[in-house]
Amino acid sequence: MNNQDFIRQSGGLGSSTDNLKSIWRVIHIDPPLLVGISIICCFGLFVLFSASGGDTAVVQRQALTMVVGLVVMFTVAQFNIYFFRRWAATMYAAGLAVLCLVLFIGVEANGAKSWLDLPGLPSFQPSELMKFIVPMLMAWYLAGRPLPPRFKHLFWSAIMILLPAALIIIQNDTGTAIMVVMSGLFVVLLAGIRWRIVIAGFIALLLASPAWYIFLAQDHQKNRILTFLDPYRDPTGAGYNIIQSQIAIGSGGIYGKGWTEGAQSHLDFIPESNTDFILAVLGEEFGLLGILFLIALYLFVLVRGGYIAMSANDMFSRLLAGSITLTFFFYVFVNMAMVSGLLPVIGLPLPLMSRGGTSVVTLFIGFGLLMSIQTHGQTKIT
Amino acid sequence: MAGKWQLKDHEAEQRLFSRRLAVAGVLVILLFSALIFKLVNLQISQIDYFSARSDGNRLHSQYVSPARGLIFDRNGELLADNQPIFNLNVVREQVEDMDTTLKFLSTLISLTDEDIEQFDTRLRRNRVPFSSVPLRYVLTEEERSRIAVNSHKLSGIIIEPEFVRHYPLAELTAHSVGYVSEINREELDSLSEAERENYGGTNHIGKTGIERTYEDLLHGNVGYEIAEKNNRGQVMRTLNRTDPIAGKNITLHLDSQLQIAAERALGDFRGAIVAIEPSTGGILAMVSKPGFDPNLFVTGISSKDYSVLVTDEINTPLFDRTTNPYPPGSTVKPFLGLGGLQTGLVDYDFTIEDPGYFRLPGVSYRWGDYTLRTAARGGHGHTDLQKAIFQSCDTFFYDLGNRMGIDTMHEFMSLFGFGQNFALDIAYARTGVLPSRDWKRASRGEPWYPGDTINSSIGQGFMWATPLQLATAVAIIANEGKAVQPRMLKEVEGEPFQPIIENPVPDIVLNDPDYWRYMEEAMTMVVHRPFNNDQFRDYGTAYEAIAQADRDMPYKMAGKSGSAQVVGISQDISQNTDIILSDLNKDHGLFISFAPAENPHIEPQIAVAVFVENGEHGSSVAGPIAKQIIDAYLLDILQIDFAALEGAEGSPLVSQIDE
Repeated sequence: MNNQDFIRQSGGLGSSTDNLKSIWRVIHIDPPLLVGISIICCFGLFVLFSASGGDTAVVQRQALTMVVGLVVMFTVAQFNIYFFRRWAATMYAAGLAVLCLVLFIGVEANGAKSWLDLPGLPSFQPSELMKFIVPMLMAWYLAGRPLPPRFKHLFWSAIMILLPAALIIIQNDTGTAIMVVMSGLFVVLLAGIRWRIVIAGFIALLLASPAWYIFLAQDHQKNRILTFLDPYRDPTGAGYNIIQSQIAIGSGGIYGKGWTEGAQSHLDFIPESNTDFILAVLGEEFGLLGILFLIALYLFVLVRGGYIAMSANDMFSRLLAGSITLTFFFYVFVNMAMVSGLLPVIGLPLPLMSRGGTSVVTLFIGFGLLMSIQTHGQTKIT
Repeated sequence: MAGKWQLKDHEAEQRLFSRRLAVAGVLVILLFSALIFKLVNLQISQIDYFSARSDGNRLHSQYVSPARGLIFDRNGELLADNQPIFNLNVVREQVEDMDTTLKFLSTLISLTDEDIEQFDTRLRRNRVPFSSVPLRYVLTEEERSRIAVNSHKLSGIIIEPEFVRHYPLAELTAHSVGYVSEINREELDSLSEAERENYGGTNHIGKTGIERTYEDLLHGNVGYEIAEKNNRGQVMRTLNRTDPIAGKNITLHLDSQLQIAAERALGDFRGAIVAIEPSTGGILAMVSKPGFDPNLFVTGISSKDYSVLVTDEINTPLFDRTTNPYPPGSTVKPFLGLGGLQTGLVDYDFTIEDPGYFRLPGVSYRWGDYTLRTAARGGHGHTDLQKAIFQSCDTFFYDLGNRMGIDTMHEFMSLFGFGQNFALDIAYARTGVLPSRDWKRASRGEPWYPGDTINSSIGQGFMWATPLQLATAVAIIANEGKAVQPRMLKEVEGEPFQPIIENPVPDIVLNDPDYWRYMEEAMTMVVHRPFNNDQFRDYGTAYEAIAQADRDMPYKMAGKSGSAQVVGISQDISQNTDIILSDLNKDHGLFISFAPAENPHIEPQIAVAVFVENGEHGSSVAGPIAKQIIDAYLLDILQIDFAALEGAEGSPLVSQIDE
């Protein structure tokens, strides 16, 4: 085979992929991201089938949720990203208003008064929406100012991040508040906040943490930290989850015990095996290789997210895409680290793997935004 | 706004963003690496540890308790069997909140404070983690279904079937067969390591009687099974099993029919009956009345029921009268008489003139004959040993005892088992007291006085014997000296049981074997010597109540009555009819007996001791009871045809009995 043939052939191929690419662009879908997400979703359903003890109803409901998520993602992707930039401040203001509304007429579930049950609408958590409204606002705010951000802008950024976070904490939903803060912080970090401020902030946090522990932390929070340090101080109570999930993962070994063969999960030793602790089921049944496979899938999605952020053609899109990607990573890492015993137990699901509704939809909105950035931004340049 | 846009250096900002994204990428890689490092540590370095933990979670080695051996009477009648009950058990590790669970349970089934109290005690015992602890025994069907319906709210609560002891004859065998009950702390502590292992799955242990004596035979060996359990303790499957070895079925010498007859014969009296087969020493009947229902103890007696049993100070149903000592009274006379013959202190021709009392030389106190208490006409007059037996003349034995001395008396009487426990498998039986100089010095710190010997000669004073001892002693007379070691156990798994006798009791060899015949004759006269109008006091003490009452008696029985003073009542006072004796201060009535007596064709088949608490008279109260038991045994159970025996000669008779 000579060189010319090869060029010709590859050229032909190239043209056909170009055609394909343009089709995807028209319908505003990023194929690598879609493929990555879809594989994780399928793998998740697969594991969930085993974790739920072969309950097909659970798997069907989760599959349906994912389809809904994909539709939401597709819908969001149809909006030009500049639409979101234009309306960021308005959405933020509206979001704050709704959060205040929740304080008065919110409905309580699982200890957090964060649900809004308006007639004619499905009940939802406004705080979930803040997970991408806040980074959107931050991206809009900082992209419009010289980077790296000045101190004045950082100050206002902090206010803009902490205001919704405070409202969410009042709703008694610390987990979501942390995620909202993180998604905003990621924007600030990517916007080029000076390292010495980051380091100073980090040190301040470290120094403040004992004070927090002594004066502010609630009993259950202290308990979680103590349990993290020594799960065996209360092996049948607070330490039970983490001990059992470690046993499950550890006994899985390299290759695992096989799908639906996990003794820990099938004999109900792992609590929350369908939701927050689904990684324990995966680790037990598919072993280290299974978890590495999942990490590889997540990495693929993260790399694609990073690529979309890099190749976006304006700072708002870059910051938003970067924040969404890092927030996604944050989810993944915190859950995996918590289940394997690297971090204290925080009630965070494993993205696309854990069973659950609202959080999945939020995730897909994020993916929709990524796709919007990738497809709308590119078309504008060409 | 527009001005600001122009001020921005887009190139530099993009470079800054790219650097930041790169840093984030590095952080992502670092954090994932840390995670993978942790996972490698869990899944590769520590896989053995976690695999073991995982197995430990789900695999539970549990004990499988062996079925307790059954107890049969000599005819194969069940005395103790095992019946299924359903228990409510708790696996503490799986109960989320014990208080709420117990509270909820008490709305479903009856659960007393006492149940919960006992349950707490059981919980505090050492136990295997994840093992179930009984909370309530014997659930009714309705209670079981109520639990089942609510089982989703009752994690850690399980219903488990269990076989527990059941005593079909209930009160009748309460003392002799005994009962099992829940193992307590002390019993567990007293077990060796291996035994404790063997009791791992066992809730009950023999507490009294045969159940206790033959605990080792009856218990069996524990089995094991490895079961896979889920988080709620439900057994998902059994992976490995070592079957338990059931306890051995045992057969006793006891005859439940005779046991029933004996219990009936006592009627409303409190008392005890022990019947022994002289040829084997096998205990045919052993009744202590009143009894109690041993089944109450098996699944934990309620404190209400228990307090009824222990606070009854008159009936004391828990007290085993067969193995506890009482003053034997005149029932010791045949043995002492044989001692007199053996030592040559009396012979067949020896007589005394009984004035109705005895006086030690130089002592003014007069030991009265019972005739002083019951009749106004003084003593028995001209009295030889046989008359002293059938008329129960105290004076004769005061004199004999006095001449024999306590040392010889002690030596000779102990041959019959007084002061000792001859029984092979009734270790809990008391030995009573056969007094001696040493005994008195040791127990009272006093020297022996001659007067003590006088009291001992008629089975009073320091002398105490159990109904079991009396039955044993009279069985030795029936055997003409061949030793009798009473025993309960007859067969193990259908095989005759050969006990290992560590200290065999020697046979009693008298200088002249005719002494046995002489004494048998004297004892037969107790029952059969009729009134003779010519002769003053020349009838057997039990004649009126036994032989005269049943003139058709087809066999003869040898016996000796006795009555034992409960309280020392001054003879002067007791003659005063103004004083009405309280029932509880009335004398105890005793009767020892064997039959058939003086039968050339057949050896004595049964020896009986009857003790009637506050029965007042040995001859008229205890005697007929003994006769009823002997009737039941010889005529109803063995169905010996005495008329046919008379008619036929020699060996055919034996075969007839076998039938």
